[in-house]
Amino acid sequence: MTEDKKAKILIVEDEVILSKTCADGLSDEGFEVLEARNGKEGLELALREKPDLILLDLLMPVMDGLTMASQLRLDDWGRNVPIIILTNLSDNNKISEALKHGIFDFLVKSDWKLADMIARVKERLSKPPEQN
Amino acid sequence: MKLKVPETFYKLLFDNMIDGLACCQMILDKQGQPVDFIYVKTNKSFEKMIGLKGAAGKKATELTPKITESNSELFEIFSQVSLTGESKRIETYIKPLLSWFSISAFSPKKGFFVIILEDITSRKKTEKNLENEKAAARNVLEDLSTEKTKVEIAKAKEEAILLSIGNGLIATNETGKVILINKIAEKLLDKKSREVVGENFSEVAPMEDEKGVPIRTEEHPINKALSADKIITVATISHDYYCVRKNKTRFPVAIIATPVILGRKVIGAIGVFQDVTKEREVDRLKSEFISLASHQLKTPPTIIKLLAERLLGNKIGELTKGQREYIGDISLANQRMIDLVNALLDMSRIELGAFELRTTKKDVCEVIRSIIDESRSIIDQKHLRLRIAPLGKKVELMLDETLFRTIINSLITNAITYTPAGGEIEVTCRMVDKGQKIGGNDIVETSFVVIISDTGYGIPQSQQDKVFNRFFRADNAREKNANGTGLGLYIVKSILDRSNGLIWFSSRENKGSMFYVAIPLTGMRAKAGSQEFVDG
Repeated sequence: MTEDKKAKILIVEDEVILSKTCADGLSDEGFEVLEARNGKEGLELALREKPDLILLDLLMPVMDGLTMASQLRLDDWGRNVPIIILTNLSDNNKISEALKHGIFDFLVKSDWKLADMIARVKERLSKPPEQN
Repeated sequence: MKLKVPETFYKLLFDNMIDGLACCQMILDKQGQPVDFIYVKTNKSFEKMIGLKGAAGKKATELTPKITESNSELFEIFSQVSLTGESKRIETYIKPLLSWFSISAFSPKKGFFVIILEDITSRKKTEKNLENEKAAARNVLEDLSTEKTKVEIAKAKEEAILLSIGNGLIATNETGKVILINKIAEKLLDKKSREVVGENFSEVAPMEDEKGVPIRTEEHPINKALSADKIITVATISHDYYCVRKNKTRFPVAIIATPVILGRKVIGAIGVFQDVTKEREVDRLKSEFISLASHQLKTPPTIIKLLAERLLGNKIGELTKGQREYIGDISLANQRMIDLVNALLDMSRIELGAFELRTTKKDVCEVIRSIIDESRSIIDQKHLRLRIAPLGKKVELMLDETLFRTIINSLITNAITYTPAGGEIEVTCRMVDKGQKIGGNDIVETSFVVIISDTGYGIPQSQQDKVFNRFFRADNAREKNANGTGLGLYIVKSILDRSNGLIWFSSRENKGSMFYVAIPLTGMRAKAGSQEFVDG
């Protein structure tokens, strides 16, 4: 069971301002935050740093979110890390497909507040890992 | 040589024979040319035939002047006969006597001739009738022949049309055996018509889903058409079907199958299909465009929203009252933009036809309950009372959950937005049978109906007909809430129009509104214009 304090969060998001704002919000809450700008960077960073939770955007250059998540799930450690999707996408079909395959746990709806996201992160982190 | 037959016999014969007989003598002029003749002796029949008595000894010009006039050729013939001794026979119509005669003439001695008359009027009549009948029969035969040719031409034309229509066509008999495939079908399936006649349709046009799993025979649109009992059209709209060619390669296919009904029986089926590789590609591009547009359009406002949130949370230093107010206003304006973009994207999806109904069996009441749950906090914040009148039993329908959620969410949001604090919102679920009336509307098929009512501002009578129009907002709504897009109800109605559902409402200004949504028991189904498609 991981504690909220000093938990490591990885944000994979190509929009710099968005990423920074989320990162700021999370650091204010005491989290250690890492940022990656695309799926490829995100995959490398995740496997190297082994964060406690990943916030993942879907539409990114070089490698998109779903691809990164599927690849991450092939790794022994990667299979269990909680992933929360941040997306503006309304392509729910693709997403529900991915949900079905257990690639990620939550979908944060497109119209969200920073406070909502932080609450979700805390909630997800407090869940025991076996629930994957 | 003297004949042994007594003269009395000849007299008897002469007097009783049926044919008319006249012995005549030619009268010649000074030049020796025949000008007249005398009836020397005539029999009873002759006199009867020409209708004159006491002909003996009379001249032709005296006795039968009319005949001499009307049938001058006879005089010629008699002259010939009497002069040359050659016998002649003709058949002629003697107008003054209104009869047909067969006239034989021979010459017993030069200058003399004998006429034998036979009335052949009735024979002629019979002959004429026969001729007429023959002509009539010939006409009928000709007509039949013409009609046959016409039918053959029509048939050939029809076949030519069928064979050359721009889509693949496959026709089967009532047991599903193929009787015809056209050129395009031959090309698409890579099979020749003569190869496939008599084969089962599922072998001639095998179909599989996107994963490569063959479609079961019962699921094949042609089979569905064959087992229908009325004219329906089975179309593969919301399935990604593929048709497999002879060489095992496949192409994405759209197929429309209809039964052929004669009298009341299904005597076969026709499947019209086409390779929709290009269309699927275009659809994919449209969806991709909308996804991309969606992402790109929503990202900047999302960023602004989060930045404003942090500022307003005093995370970047304490704000003055004025600063707080301004940033608050930025937030509101930004939210309007987000709402508008969302609505426009929904609308584009619908209008561009990148609208695909993906239905699964769902417990309707469960879905509605979960949507209500999402709004509970806002309902509480506004101090509104919420009443739910559930159905009491489980009802499962084929629903496109996403779209259904959009519909119910939109209506509940409206109820919340346009009802002042202290008001009430009620959500009722009902099953309504075909033929019953609800909310002033007649229900044509048994449906699940959800009613969302509020005690809010209502819609002014004069503007009620515009409520489903794009960008329309009623005056009182505009007044109470500056932020609406005017697209919510338009989108809800567009979805329902395209999925076989219904929406209607009743409303009184300052009293409240009641919105009704009906989904038939057969579920949300694709509907293109007025044609009903049974989803195959």
